[in-house]
Amino acid sequence: MSRVVVTGLGAVSACGLGADVLTDATQTGVSGVKPIHFGDLDAQRVKTAARLSEADLVQVLGEKPHRMREPVAEYALTAAREAVAQAGLTEEHFGDSCGVSIGSGFGGGQTLNINYLKLGREGSMRLDPMSVPKIMNNAAASWVSMEFGATGPALCLATACSSGSQSIGMAYQMIASGQVERCLAGGSEACLESGVFRVWELLRVMTAEQNRPFSKDRNGMTLGEGAGVLVLESLESAEARGATILCELVGFGTNSDAGDLLRPDPKRAAACMRMALKSAGLTPADIGYVNAHGTGTVANDVNEVTALRDVFGEGLDGLDVSSTKPIHGHALGAAGALEMIVAIGALQRQSVPPTINFTEVDPKIDIDPVANVAKPKQLGAVMSNSLAFGGINATLIAKAYEHS
Amino acid sequence: MSTDRDTLTRDLLEMVAQEGMVEPSEITPQRKLEELDIQSADFVMILMAIEEKYGAYVSVDNELTDVVTVQDLLDLAISKIEEHQAAQA
Repeated sequence: MSRVVVTGLGAVSACGLGADVLTDATQTGVSGVKPIHFGDLDAQRVKTAARLSEADLVQVLGEKPHRMREPVAEYALTAAREAVAQAGLTEEHFGDSCGVSIGSGFGGGQTLNINYLKLGREGSMRLDPMSVPKIMNNAAASWVSMEFGATGPALCLATACSSGSQSIGMAYQMIASGQVERCLAGGSEACLESGVFRVWELLRVMTAEQNRPFSKDRNGMTLGEGAGVLVLESLESAEARGATILCELVGFGTNSDAGDLLRPDPKRAAACMRMALKSAGLTPADIGYVNAHGTGTVANDVNEVTALRDVFGEGLDGLDVSSTKPIHGHALGAAGALEMIVAIGALQRQSVPPTINFTEVDPKIDIDPVANVAKPKQLGAVMSNSLAFGGINATLIAKAYEHS
Repeated sequence: MSTDRDTLTRDLLEMVAQEGMVEPSEITPQRKLEELDIQSADFVMILMAIEEKYGAYVSVDNELTDVVTVQDLLDLAISKIEEHQAAQA
């Protein structure tokens, strides 16, 4: 089995363009959540989302939108270009030795929404003829593979909020097993469209106020968008080309609740974290920080804290936990990738990012996360959890790189 | 400004029966929602109806997890509707 290292990071989020910009925002506790207004919705109940700023949208999408590409593909391309540049990859590093694993929960939401509105309002049959290739879930992964000439395996896992984490985990496995030397891995989501937003409202898991994970007065999540892409490589190939190693990806766990589509099972989330620890050859005491799934819905928070206690012990001794979702929003299929970048940022800066908007410990779960202000801490290994609808759990573990 | 409590309670009971697909005669404030076989999927239907009729948005969260009886649900709905009406005023 090859050791797998991270040599490049790229992010597009409500916090701005760039992985460093995202880490800065999470470390300083500056939220990318903004007011959002959909003219198509007669009555909009939830009025905020962690959306890209208008200026960033223009930079990512260009003045004139690409005829064949949706924002979901453009976000992934922008993040991938940044990660590839940081890693210093050039033409000879692609081809069959490089895979792409970029997940998305929804795929292209924009074209579908525009088509439905046009069909419904005008009864028009003149819809976008490029709808199918724009909408398909694997569009982002395919555009990234075309951009760089990465002709290895191209995957698109569509496992809701675990898409990004599982995509990174699959890339990790492909590299560890020697199938490919490197992989561009992560997730992308651009779901802030009127019809999509309305059905999230109807599920009633979004807060009409502020997102406050683990806090007593929590009442739901805030939707986000963006993309996170990592360059993962075998240690051997990274060393051979003299790349700067950012950290080592050491553990991946994923499993299914096979129980309820929406209600999570803490036993399964705990089993997932244990699977990742086992694959990393680490004990719970080795983990200094967990970037929680931490959506700020009561179902998630109770489930995740129960699972964390199961794995790390009742007192969660020595462990720091936070959710950075109030900063970058819940970016669904991109969430796991953005949050892994945040966790790696914590490792690089030796500082735990805070759960902002936190007001009061909830006696129901009795956890005091790193609240509102970052906490300097010596970190050797960090964990990121994704616990998705459909009962799909995924956990990733990164470690400071040590030359053996 | 505030809708009359009795009318509101009666309307809400009707709504719970209709959206939860339960015989109106079976619904009394003291009954547990579980006994009436009102589940999470019915909850979101009831909350959607409350939003449609009164404009109040209730997320499926903290407060709702403490709801056990029909009365608990009515109390929560009434407080959210009144909150919403006060905010509109």
